[in-house]
Amino acid sequence: MRGAIIPITMVPGHSIIHKIAPLPKLLIAGGVLIISFATRNPAILGGMIVVGMLLVAISNIWKNFLKVIGVLFPILLTLIAIQSVAPAFPRPWTPIVPFGPFTIYQEGIYSGVTMVLRAVAMTIFALVAIMTTHPSDLFASLQKVGMPYVLNFILTMTLQLIPILQKEFATVLSAQKSRGLKGTGFGAVLPSMVPVFVGAIERVQQLSISLESRAFGSSGVKTSYRSVKMGAKDYILMLLGTAASCGVLYWIIVDKSLDWSRTLVFAPWLAILLVSVAGLGFLTFAVIALKYVLSA
Amino acid sequence: MTDPVIVCENLWHVYPGDILALQEANLTINAGEILGVIGQNGSGKTTLVKHFNGLLKPTRGKVLVKGVDTAGKRIQQLAKDVGYVFQNPNHQLFARTVEAELEFGPRNLGVPEKEVIERREKAIEFFNLQELRNHHPYRIGFPLRKLVGMASIYTMHPAVFILDEPTTGQDNVTTRTVYRLIHKLRDEGSTVVCVAHDMILLAEVVDRMIVLRDTRIIADATPREVFSNRELMQSTHLLPPQVTELSLRLKAEGKLPEIELSVNDMVAGIASHLAK
Repeated sequence: MRGAIIPITMVPGHSIIHKIAPLPKLLIAGGVLIISFATRNPAILGGMIVVGMLLVAISNIWKNFLKVIGVLFPILLTLIAIQSVAPAFPRPWTPIVPFGPFTIYQEGIYSGVTMVLRAVAMTIFALVAIMTTHPSDLFASLQKVGMPYVLNFILTMTLQLIPILQKEFATVLSAQKSRGLKGTGFGAVLPSMVPVFVGAIERVQQLSISLESRAFGSSGVKTSYRSVKMGAKDYILMLLGTAASCGVLYWIIVDKSLDWSRTLVFAPWLAILLVSVAGLGFLTFAVIALKYVLSA
Repeated sequence: MTDPVIVCENLWHVYPGDILALQEANLTINAGEILGVIGQNGSGKTTLVKHFNGLLKPTRGKVLVKGVDTAGKRIQQLAKDVGYVFQNPNHQLFARTVEAELEFGPRNLGVPEKEVIERREKAIEFFNLQELRNHHPYRIGFPLRKLVGMASIYTMHPAVFILDEPTTGQDNVTTRTVYRLIHKLRDEGSTVVCVAHDMILLAEVVDRMIVLRDTRIIADATPREVFSNRELMQSTHLLPPQVTELSLRLKAEGKLPEIELSVNDMVAGIASHLAK
């Protein structure tokens, strides 16, 4: 039951990444987010992934990180399979090779690959930031930089509720299986989804009453239980992060040769291999996930 | 001699993260027995009973339900024999009406439609849910919702009933229904495993109790034996029902010959003693 939980939460540790204040980590994750959306260059996106993986290794969050990526990556693979035959790209499309009843297009496969790289790069940095930062520190830091208290609270509370809801879903699924639930199709999922949603709504209602009764809406400056201290290294990191993000962004804007969508040509065998691996990867994941959900 | 319906052989359970929750549990539950499971929070009670319907699989050792090892069985397959009433009914209920909720389990088991309706009606009558039959389960109060949760398992007619904290959060009326349910299940020959902190309930309805402490079963005896064992009760931080505590003290002072478990027994015991 517990194995089904996707652990998007802090992994306690003493690595150098854990010791960095939340703000530099958030700033760098934000920089990666902007760069990922600004470029379609696989080399830049790939480079960010390599750096991100290095951070994962340093912070030693492999176990939880791989659990999340293990679920996300196969789903992202569908982008390559779908984009290759139906590109989200202005026509004309350059056909590479027929693939059954479909045709694989150059622009499509390029678009699919870059979308996957983009999503993976953003996710890695976001996960490093979340998994090496105590939620309360995140809350305190965001408040420090002037993020509205209510918005900040919503963000932090959402992060904390994710593992609770995941656990709740596992419990509810067990309860339904105890009643002989037949595990096929949407009809099988519905009996578990209703109690989880009802529970979530009830929890939010109770939480709102509890918050109101503890003066949540009162005006004035809020204090924080945890105080986050920013050291010189944190300011230096923020400075370097900002400079690197701005530098890469400037390079992306001025250097038109970074658009490889028509120059990076996929050989027919490579295109077929990529689309097949992506499709099979997703199908394998879907079968394993279904088997896992249905098995007691 | 009655047949064993559940057998645990050297059962261990370790949760992910190397959290030891149960060790060396050896237990045989016979058909028709009413068993109480007590212990402090975190002692391993729920972990133990979750093995009985396959919600948890042993890390070491084995659990046999009607002679079949649960390791190779899915929860859905075991649901026919073992019904688990969750502590929180919100984890179980999802249908639009109480009626539909009660029909869900037997339909999953492939019970013929006519019998599903019969079972539903019997459950509605027994749990006194006539006026709520068309209500949404989430629009009725928690105590009654909990009864609907029990009724939804009752309609599946399992051989073994597991009740996890059946009286927690219940008012007096619904608590009496829980008492009636356990007595009825006893009369029908069902096996009941009741995990509870409600010692008054256990003293009144169970035949046998097992006590857990720090992930081990440390006692397996009748309620009278368990409640009169001062050392055991103190070491597990458990309190007997007040009436039992009173009779224990009176017996210690030679004022009462027997330890009594319920108010009725106590009244009868005192009356008999005074008559002498």
